[in-house]
This record gives sequence, C-alpha cells and structure tokens, in this order.
Amino acid sequence: MTAWHWLALAAAALAALAAVAALRRRARRTARGRRFFRHPAAAPGLVVLAFVVTTALAAPGLAPYPPRAQLDIVRLADQPPSLRHPLGTDLYSRDVWSRLVYGARVSLGVGALAMLVAVTLGAAVGAAAGYFRRWPDALLMRVVDVGLALPRIFVLLVAVALWGHVTLGPLVLLIGLTGWFPTSRLVRAEVLSVRERDFVAAARALGAGPARIILRHVLPNAAAPIIVSAALGIGNVMLLEAGLSFLGLGVPPPMPSWGNMIADGWPKMAVAPWAALAPGLAISLVVTALNTVGDALRDALDPRAESA
Amino acid sequence: MDLAPLAGAWNVRPMPTARAGERAFAVALALVGAASVAGCARRPACAGEYCGTLVIAAAGEPDILLPPVSDFSITRDVTEQLFLKLAELGPGGTTVGDQDFAPQLAARWEWDGPTTLAFHLDPRARWQDGRPVTAADVAFTYAVYTDTVINSPFRASLREIAAVTTRDSLTAVFRFRRRYPEMFYDAVYHMRILPAHLLRALPRERWRSAPFGRAPVGDGPYRFVAWNAGESIELAADSAFFLGRPHIRRVIWRFTPDQQVAVTQLLARDADAVEVLVTPDNVRRVRADSQFALYPYKGAAYGYLGFNLRAPGDSSAPHPLFGDRELRRALAMAVDRERLLRNAWGDLAALPPGPMSQLLWIWDPTIPALPHDSAQAARLLARLGWTDTDGDGIRDRAGRPLAFRILLPTTSAIRRQYGRLLQEQFRAIGADVQLDEVDFGLFNRRAQRGDFDALLNTWNTDPTPSSGIPETWTRAGFGRLNYGRYANPAVDRLVERAAVLATDRDAARRAWRAAIALLNQDAPAVFLFAPENVAAVHRRVENVVIQPDSWLARLRLWRIPADRLTARDRAEP
Amino acid sequence: MAAWLLRRLAAALAIVFAVLTLAFCAIHLAPGTPFVSPQDRGMDPAIVARLERLYGLDRPLPVQYAKYLVAVLHGELGESFALRRPVADALAEALPNTLLLAGAALLLDFGLGLALGVYQAARARRAGDVVLGNAALFVHSVPTFWLGLLLLLVFAQRLHWFPVGGTHDPVLCRSVASLRCALDRGWHLALPALTLGVVGAAGTARYQRAALLEVLGQEFVRTARAKGLSERRVLLVHALRNALLPFITLGGLALPFLLTGAVLVETVFAWPGMGRLAVTAIFQRDYPVVIAAAAAASVLVVLGSLAADVLYAVADPRIRAPGA
Repeated sequence: MTAWHWLALAAAALAALAAVAALRRRARRTARGRRFFRHPAAAPGLVVLAFVVTTALAAPGLAPYPPRAQLDIVRLADQPPSLRHPLGTDLYSRDVWSRLVYGARVSLGVGALAMLVAVTLGAAVGAAAGYFRRWPDALLMRVVDVGLALPRIFVLLVAVALWGHVTLGPLVLLIGLTGWFPTSRLVRAEVLSVRERDFVAAARALGAGPARIILRHVLPNAAAPIIVSAALGIGNVMLLEAGLSFLGLGVPPPMPSWGNMIADGWPKMAVAPWAALAPGLAISLVVTALNTVGDALRDALDPRAESA
Repeated sequence: MDLAPLAGAWNVRPMPTARAGERAFAVALALVGAASVAGCARRPACAGEYCGTLVIAAAGEPDILLPPVSDFSITRDVTEQLFLKLAELGPGGTTVGDQDFAPQLAARWEWDGPTTLAFHLDPRARWQDGRPVTAADVAFTYAVYTDTVINSPFRASLREIAAVTTRDSLTAVFRFRRRYPEMFYDAVYHMRILPAHLLRALPRERWRSAPFGRAPVGDGPYRFVAWNAGESIELAADSAFFLGRPHIRRVIWRFTPDQQVAVTQLLARDADAVEVLVTPDNVRRVRADSQFALYPYKGAAYGYLGFNLRAPGDSSAPHPLFGDRELRRALAMAVDRERLLRNAWGDLAALPPGPMSQLLWIWDPTIPALPHDSAQAARLLARLGWTDTDGDGIRDRAGRPLAFRILLPTTSAIRRQYGRLLQEQFRAIGADVQLDEVDFGLFNRRAQRGDFDALLNTWNTDPTPSSGIPETWTRAGFGRLNYGRYANPAVDRLVERAAVLATDRDAARRAWRAAIALLNQDAPAVFLFAPENVAAVHRRVENVVIQPDSWLARLRLWRIPADRLTARDRAEP
Repeated sequence: MAAWLLRRLAAALAIVFAVLTLAFCAIHLAPGTPFVSPQDRGMDPAIVARLERLYGLDRPLPVQYAKYLVAVLHGELGESFALRRPVADALAEALPNTLLLAGAALLLDFGLGLALGVYQAARARRAGDVVLGNAALFVHSVPTFWLGLLLLLVFAQRLHWFPVGGTHDPVLCRSVASLRCALDRGWHLALPALTLGVVGAAGTARYQRAALLEVLGQEFVRTARAKGLSERRVLLVHALRNALLPFITLGGLALPFLLTGAVLVETVFAWPGMGRLAVTAIFQRDYPVVIAAAAAASVLVVLGSLAADVLYAVADPRIRAPGA
C-alpha cells in the first residue's frame, strides 16, 4: 500500500461521512427523516454502508494489487499484516486487502441484485394476490406457504446439485428466486389495506386497468415494507452467499468473494488467521449496518411499529 | 432470522396465572438429577502389557471393508488388520525373489518347478468365527480377485498367474504363465485372503455393496467391532492371534473431512496418530508439542497433473487440445514446479524426476525432464498458432480460447492448493483454467471414464515400479489406471524390458532411465510432488515400526508399556 | 377449536404433499435414472431392478408419481451409490444428530435471548441497554459458520477446552450408557450448539426486549405498580408471562433458521447430521440423498410450525375462538 492508496482510502471515508452528513441535514426537514435519524445507530450504519459502497466502486484505485495476483508464492505466502500488506497475505501470497476490496464488489453486487430479483418478484406476487383476492390470492398464498416451508439453503443445494457448474449469473438468479416469499406476504398485507382507500376506488371508476392501478396507486403506498425488507434482505443474501461460497458452491475461484476468502483461509486458520478473519469481519460489519439501517427505516416509514 | 413479520402480530391482555406448571417443572428437574447420579457406575479398568487404545485420525472414510473391491488407502489401512496375506514384505522392500518376505498366512513355501509355487498354510490360522483357514480360501480369493464382474482394481496385477489350485486342505499351488523375477511378489502382495465359507454364496454382482463389507469377519490380528458411519471404525485385538497377540487392545479410526482437521485432532489430544503431517506448519506445531514423536519415512506417493490425450468421454477421438504433443510440452514448460513445491510443501517433498515416488529404487534426480522455461513455452504456443487476438489475456486460435478444466477432489487440501497455483501459472502464459472440485468418489469415477480435460491425481506406488508404471503409463493400462490414455510404443518396450531385467539391477536401471526420459519428453503429465512423509505418533507408544508402502502394516507390533497407560488406554468400552 | 385444528392439520398436510411433489420433480430433473445414482454402472443390478419395480420407472409419469408417494410412505427413498446403502438408512442415522443440534441450539437461543431481553428491558434506554443492544445486533449479523470457525480456533484448538469435532469420543463412549457418556456427548455438542444458539439468541433478545417494553406500557402493569408491587416482581411475574407466549411462535419460526445454520455448522464441526449429509452428497452428485434431505428438512419445518401453532392455541385461551 503506497501513500496514494492510504490517501484514497481516507478520501473514501471522508466522502462517506460527508454524504451521510448531507443526507442528515436534508432529512431533518421531514418527519420521516427525523424519525430515521433518531436511532442512535442509524447514522453510523449509513456511514459504514456508504464507505463500503465507495470502496467497492473505487476498488481499482484502492487496491494496490490485482486480486488474483500471486505475488511470490515462495516468500510472500501467509505473511502477517504489515505496512505493505495491511491485512497480510493468504496462502497463495495474494494481498488480502486487495481481495477484500474487490470482493466487496462481488458480495455486495450479489446481495443487491439477488435482493432486487426477490423483491420484484415478491412485490409482484404480493400485489397480485392482494389486489385480485379470491382464487389468485388463495393459489399464490399457498405457493408462498410451501416456499416458506422449504429451508432456503436446502433448496439452493438441490438447485446447485442439479445445475452442475453454477456461474455468477445463475447464482444470483437462484438466490433471488428462493427469497421472495416473505416479501410477498408483507406486500399482500399492505395492498389489502390500501385497496379499500378512496383514491383506488376513484381510479377504478375512471376506468383504469388493474396493472395501472397497482403500479401507480397501490404499490407506491405499499412501498414501506418493500423498502424495509429489501434492506434486511440484502444482509441475509450476503450471509447466504458467504455460506455457499464457504461450502465451495458459490462464487468460483479465483474471483474473490468474502465467502470464498473465508473458505480459502480456513485451513490455515492456526497459522494465518487474518486471511479468514478480515472477510468475516467485513461481512459482519456490513450486515450489522444493513440491519441497523433496516430497523431505522422500519420505524421511520411505519409509525405504527415503534420499537421504543 | 428476520423477525419483521412478527412485529405487531400479537395482542396483549393479562394472562391467567399457572402455578401448577412451575411446580411440575421443579419435580421433573429433581427426578432427572436423581437418575443421573444413579447412572454413575464404576467400571473395571485394564492393566498390564496388553492394554492400550490407539486413536488414529484419518482423512476420508473407507467405502467398503472388502479388499478386492476397494483401492482406497484408508480402506487398506483397516482391512490389513482384518485380513492376512500369504506372506508380508519386510522392511528391505526388495520385490525380486522371496528373501525379503516373512511368512504370514503361509508358514512355508517351495518351488515345484520353474512356474509352480506351492504355499503351505499355517495350521494355526483361524477365521474369527472359529473355522480354520484352508487352501480353498486361497483359491476362492484368487477367483474373486480375477473375476470380471467384480472387476477388482488389482485384477491386472495378477495377470501372470494362470491358476491357483488346492493340493490338500493346507496347500495352495500357484501356476504362472511364464518365469520372471517378481513372481513371488505378485503371488503374495496383492491379494488378501477371504473366507470362502462366508462369501461363496454372495453373487458376484453384489460384491460392491455387500453387507459383509460393513461388518467383516477376518483372520487377522484385529477383529471388527463397530463402524459409526461418518465418524469412526473400531477394531479389537484378537488375543488368540497365531502370530502373537497384538499389544494394543483397541484401535479406533476417527474420520475427518481433510488431513488438516486430522492434524488438529492430534494436537487437541483427540487422536494418537496421524499418517502424514503434510505441511511444514504442521510439522512445526507437532514438533513444538512434546507429547508426540515424529517418524519420517519415504513417501510412497507422487502427485501429478495429468492431461487427457483423448476427448473427454470419447476415447476414440483425440483431445482437441492435449492430443497435440507440442502443446502439452509447452504447457509443461510453463509450470514452475520448484516454486509450487516450496509454497505447498516447504521442504517436505521433492520434485519427482518422472512418475515415481521416493520409495521406488529407480528414483534418480538426474533423469532428464522438461525444464521450466516460460519464454520457450510462449514461443512454442505462438508457433502453434495460439495468440491473443482479442486482448483479453487468453490465447486463442481459430476462435477457440486456450481453456480447459482441471478435475480434482475436494478431500485433498494439497491438490486444491495446487489447483489454484496452477491456475495462475497457466494464466501467465495465456491459458484460462477452471477448477472442477468434486467429491473423491466422483473424482475416481470421472477419471476412470476419461471424463476430464486434465486432472490432479496422486498415486500410492507399489514397492516395485514394474507393477505400477505399466498400469498407469503404458498401453497395458488402457481402461484401467492409465486415465489419460498415453501410450508410446518405444516407452512400452523399454518398460517391458526393464521388468524382465529385474534381477540385474544395473541393466534394469538403465532401461528404466531410458523409458522415463522418453516419457518426460512426451509430457503426458506434469509431475509435481513426491512427499517425504512424516507420521506423528504419541510418545507413549513404543516399537513404532512404519512400513513405507503401507504405514500400519506392522501395527500389531506397536506397544504401549504398562507404566505409560493413560485413562483412555485403561477404559473398558 | 377442533375445527380450527383440523383446518390447520389439513393445511400442513397440503404443504407436505406439495414438498413431496417438488421432490419428485427434482428427482426426475436430475441426470441418470431416478432414485438410482447414475455415477457408476457397477450398481448392484438386483437393487436397480427392485427400485425400478418399486417406482414404476417404465410406466407413465402419473403412475410413477403415485408409486413414489406410496414408496415414500413406506420409507423407501432410493439408493445411494456413493454411500452404498439405502438413502433412508443414511437419513435415519443423520436426522437425530441434526435434531439434537437444533434442539440444543433452540434451548440456548431462548434461554440466552430471554435473559438478555429481560435485562435490556429492565435497563431500557440506559447505557447497558444501548451497548448490549448494539453488541447483540452485531452478533446476530455475523456469519454463523465464521463464528463457528472462530470458536473452534480459540476454544478447541488453542485452549483445548472443547473437542475439535464429532458427536462423541469413540474411545470412551460408544453408546450413551452412563452419565459420563451423556456428559461426553454434551461436551461435544457444546460448541456447535453455542454457535447456532448465540446468533439466534441475539435476534431473540431484540424481539423479547421490544415485546417486554410494549407489555410494560400496558394498563395492567400500571395497576400492578400502583398496587405497590416491586419493579422486579412486576417485570418477572406479570409482564414476562404475557411476553412469553410469542416464544412458541418464535420456536416454529426458528426452525428454518436453525436448519439452514445447521448445514454450515455441521460442516465446520464435522457433525454427522442431515446438513453435512446433503453437502457431501452434492459433491458426489448423489441426487437421491440431496433431494431426500431437502424434503426431510422441509417436512420438519412444516411439522415444527404446526406444533408451534397447536401449542400456542393450547397455551393461550384467548385465541380458541372459532375462525381464529
């Protein structure tokens, strides 16, 4: 790590802090924003998230070495943290910090995209069930019941087994397809309560079709649970991806993800624990931040559910 | 666990009190406590020379405890305590003639002619159900090992034996097809004698999953006790064993997902012995722990990256990449074997000069091999038409990228490490390599089917090159262990000559050298490592004799003296 | 009450049915002959023939489906080539281990979570609450298997306080015959159960704290306080009793989380349960085992939530109204 890299890192941290501070100032103007920031941990959580996202985006500038470069497999393997390698090297003499930074891209990317798939599908199904009621509701909710009964990781294991070699794209899709059930329940509940409101009746009277009503009137009002479950869901997906990569079924090498970094570092835990500790800590921090922000969002957007 | 759906899902109103429930719970707790105290019984403890419990931590798990059907080395470790051979190879390791062999099941033997060998079984030998071991068992065993339906991995090693007949109940006669130096070795080394009276009725197609293999009855120094699937196998010493009662009373294997965990168990005192420590870190850690003694011995294994010369799954067509000798040579020269060795093994392994382990007498670092020369490799690849036309770092030719997959088992941490190291080595010269990490069983099946581009494999060699190398690197090994289907007629001829010349060491050595040198030039594989094994055994165990080709072959001689017994040794099961 | 119970039972049965149907589809999507691992032609032909008869593999699909359901009810789940034994046998051996682990983890989860939640509610919004709350959130966000690795490294490998893996010491205790062997099993269970339980406990604590705080704001609590009862009595006796009820529902919800976590924890601690069975089977391309394990896990979840619902109805007289 040269001085430039340290400077860039500091710049990223400052940028995150500044962004959150600006956000806070703007948020103070609305009741929701004030409620959000009333949580003592909301602001730090946002800072952490902003920082991680910034480092992920700026990875090429922050990582002194390419993530898959084996620098010197004879002399530089399993080196403890030093000025040159702030998080040490792993057993293939790859710089852990560089891999961590690039791994953020993969882990966050998988988390966000899979969550997008899950939330979109869940919202669509939930809205359809809640709006149309009768037999579409009954049918879809039975499907959701079955989906909730299947432990997610077992379904993924079966899917991976049947698929063979799972590359990154199909992996994201699979994770997303197994995670939409809770969202659909939430959205359905919201839609059920919103659909009785006056403006929906008015829109229907004006001749608007169901799709238009759902998209333009119902869903925006049901946005609260969608946003909250999205925030919390990304954390779950990241943990799931880490677990799958640890088992050897997730992101294939040599692409770094925080999960397969732990898998690589595990055999050498006794000798070089930093290789597995750093990515684990990173996951923990990001998921904590996501949980905190999710909590604060829930309270901000849904004044009924005060968690004191 | 996301508790969001529960939020606000319940109402709150006062609950009626329920005192009765609390009382019942307290009574139950008292009852449980009383029962536990009552269950605390005292047990008798073992004392004297014949106690001792040895716990061996091993990676993997046996598939089935039936010698002809399995070639897993962990299976062999267990079955060699249960079943005997006719004679056992001594520490000298000379496989020519019979001087280095000691009687086991056979008390003595003689040559009845140039190609006829008669074994006289020891009348004291007994199966664990009481029946005596007879020559009929030997004949039956030969029939099983050479049966085509059972398709034993050892069948090919017995090809020079024409027939095994019984002259009387204690005399088994081997007739060979021709005379050659290692006749005795072939007769005794490969087969473990099986109880005909218990297995004769078993149809040949059912041997792969026979229940006998999960609860075997043998004639060896140890008797089978229990197999906890996924966890452990326990054996107990046979106190009436005719060659001497084993000193260690109980032997227990604990199975671990990989070798590193096995070493961890050793250091945590959950195990007493481990076959190999594998990495220099482990050696250091175990050496620092004064409770263990280290036993270095010549490794009987070598590891290599083998190319498949035929198309995956279709042995009639050449492999699109590796059918080309020049491409193989280029890829082989791109690998810096020395540096990979240092990273993975430290100083615990050596570079094999060819397909051989350090155990083999033909080990000779001066045998010519392809050098590491990435510049030359790059030039060669360019000359073959492989250039990076689209700037993605990977060479291509006529629209096809230089890409292939390496098959390797998840159970070997060393091979997984090599997989990743090789990925980078090949990337440096513009080849895109992906890893296929599969379970050990699946790895073997795909290797046998030829369903791979390249594979990372290790062989445990027999003590003599003439039983291993023809199987794996000549045309005779097609459909058997020559997974890559490499065959060079000149190499085949030299190997045959070397086997014939076995009595004249120098002439044989020259022939082997020539054969290996020629093979190296063809680059059917990149020979990566030949470990020097270091076993670790708890210090209280004495007389630890380690046989290099099969480390537990002499387990019945190991001892734990009466004054060094620990609580674990004394405990009765 | 009875009507509600019957309806609930019917719903659970329907879900189990659906799970079995999905498993059937998965089996037929898998490469090779259904119910028989395709990996080696050396499979015992007698076994293959028996399975073909049992599952009607040469008959049309609806017939196969019917035969499959009958077979499953008889405990026939196919043959695992890799393990060289029937799938049902392997599953039957692995299931109790997973249940043991999940059960112990659940106990730890609720015990620790309850204690922590109560403590936090008692000290609401003060320093102890805030610090513990954030710490609990962090622990709940940690990858379960990573925590397991850490605990393994520190407590088993470095300090030797706990064993490195397995369910029991094969030397001393082949069966649970005495107190010592039961303790040995408990000692081996400690770290894996702790790993699963601690992560869950953090979540339970958060929930319990919120629930308690809501209860504490209720009328009857104010009445109790007005009557002059001590704060501790108010908290522990009156408020807690009401807040305990959702624990039953939590138990039902916790099962999927525990089974998911069990897959990874079993791998880290070499615990021979269903999760590890499924993971090993994946690497062996042993489809019957993977699918059977997944189906079994799902059925467990359904049974668990059914049991939770019934227990809840039994425990809480308020919801035994018809149509609840």
